[in-house]
Amino acid sequence: MRSAVESLANKRHHFLLLAFAGLSVFAGMAAISLTRQSGPDLWLGLAIWIACAFAGTALLNRYLPSCDPALFPMAIFLSGWGLVAIQRLAPSFAARQALWLAISVGAMLFAAVFPQLLRWLRVYRYVVLAVALLLLLATIVFGSNPSGFEFAPRLWLKLGAVYFQPSEFMKVVLVAFMASYLGEQSAAIRAERGDANMKLPLSPRLAGPMLSMWLLSLVILVWQRDLGTAMLFFVVFLLLLYTTSGDWRILIGGLLLVMIAAAAAYHLFDVVKLRVDIWLNPWPESDGRAYQIVQSLMAFGAGGILGTGVGLGSPGYIPVVHSDFVFAALAEEWGLLGVIGVLSCFAVLTLRGLSIGLTHSGRDFHKLLAVGLTMMLVVQALMIMAGVLKLLPLTGVTLPFISYGGSSLLVCFVMIGLLLRLSAEVASARHPGAR
Amino acid sequence: MSVEVAIFILRLVAGFCLIGFLAVLFAIVWRSMRQVDRQLASARMPHGYLTRQNPDSGQANGVAERFPLLAITTLGRSASNTVVVNDDYASAQHARIVLEDGQWWLEDRRSRNGTRLNDLAIDQRTILTDSDVIGIGNFSYRLTLISNLSR
Repeated sequence: MRSAVESLANKRHHFLLLAFAGLSVFAGMAAISLTRQSGPDLWLGLAIWIACAFAGTALLNRYLPSCDPALFPMAIFLSGWGLVAIQRLAPSFAARQALWLAISVGAMLFAAVFPQLLRWLRVYRYVVLAVALLLLLATIVFGSNPSGFEFAPRLWLKLGAVYFQPSEFMKVVLVAFMASYLGEQSAAIRAERGDANMKLPLSPRLAGPMLSMWLLSLVILVWQRDLGTAMLFFVVFLLLLYTTSGDWRILIGGLLLVMIAAAAAYHLFDVVKLRVDIWLNPWPESDGRAYQIVQSLMAFGAGGILGTGVGLGSPGYIPVVHSDFVFAALAEEWGLLGVIGVLSCFAVLTLRGLSIGLTHSGRDFHKLLAVGLTMMLVVQALMIMAGVLKLLPLTGVTLPFISYGGSSLLVCFVMIGLLLRLSAEVASARHPGAR
Repeated sequence: MSVEVAIFILRLVAGFCLIGFLAVLFAIVWRSMRQVDRQLASARMPHGYLTRQNPDSGQANGVAERFPLLAITTLGRSASNTVVVNDDYASAQHARIVLEDGQWWLEDRRSRNGTRLNDLAIDQRTILTDSDVIGIGNFSYRLTLISNLSR
């Protein structure tokens, strides 16, 4: 009885969220079409987005009625906002992004509805990890960069006309692998923690994976010059290890390792040195190497509280604004309001994701998977938002759901799909008769 | 002129929709937090009580002691239990009464001298009903359920 009332309320909320999101995206698109000449693919993009939103909501209500009501609307709203931003900033990429959105929502539904996926991720973890690592190694040999610059990092693999980035897929695979490994080890880890005779500051059970993960991150950093991804993997891994063991020394030890790696990287790699130097003081080179970050700060300033309005700002001064710096463009055209909007969405994602993890308290794999996926998305978002605001050295990761980038969008939606699956399994575990 | 007005109106619409979206999102979060809060409150609310019968050997001395029946009620000699049994034959963590699937279950927690239900020793978890008598050592407790519970 109560669950029927609840699902009715969920449906009403879903509808309200979709209505608000749709109107907002429509208003953005319409404003763009009024401020400049635009082709039919603007409305095509909007149509694809609406179709994705309704298909996703309808199918989730049909096949997974007990899933979390906030996650999918949040993801689809942010991605709609991203479509508007890409249409505004780089119109030639917009059609491609809309296509990727359709693929991504399809993949999310697959991950959410297909019942065997979680088990496969756990059982075949070594196979999955090996495939992902092979793809990652392939980028070192066959890697290319869509922009075609000689010295740009070669993180992409080209498959026909499609570029994709294996390090994005590595995010899901790695979280699943760590969740399944640590889930199996967690009982032993906790037992060691309770054991007062342990004189070692860290048991090898914890230190071993921590060091090997550190080495993997360093390999990514050295071979790929991909500072952001290396940092992201290591931070998320530390958080997972902390979730498993509840040992604060993990965080301190990890911080020390990060600092050692950072100090070494600062002296060894020009990319890292440049990023840190312009983070400490961008102004002497404000029209040279620090042009991008300075223009980004200018955009934040120009936005003010309510922003300049969609299509009325000039975020085009920031180089490659549609991928890494899309947050600066939002800040200029939507102002503080937009910034708070994006931050709130990620805050809600954190809250929901962690509470899904909490409700799985007896099942370590499910708990760690929920925490890891949430942290992967949120830490990535925080890293790039702080980087664009010059709170942290800039790390070239995408802003989840909003930035241009097919692999990134796909993987973010797959993560949301897995989280939805996990949230539904909580409900079905609690009411065994309901499924 | 008209284009500018239209753009301004669109800005307003987009801004209000953003705020509306966030408001609904927060409402969902708020509702689920309230639900968790209610669940916790109902777990803490007494569903009945346990009345201590006087030890068989002793004589009637004063009022019978009453303990609240919680969704998880523990009995034993240790002071951390819901019902502290001051008896030499009681173990520190002796027995437990839990509410599961709408039923009350009595479990013995591997106590030294065992737990009795209506003067019979139990060897597995057993469903309780109103006015059952639970025996631990020299003590016994009569279970009273409050039937008109709104759950």
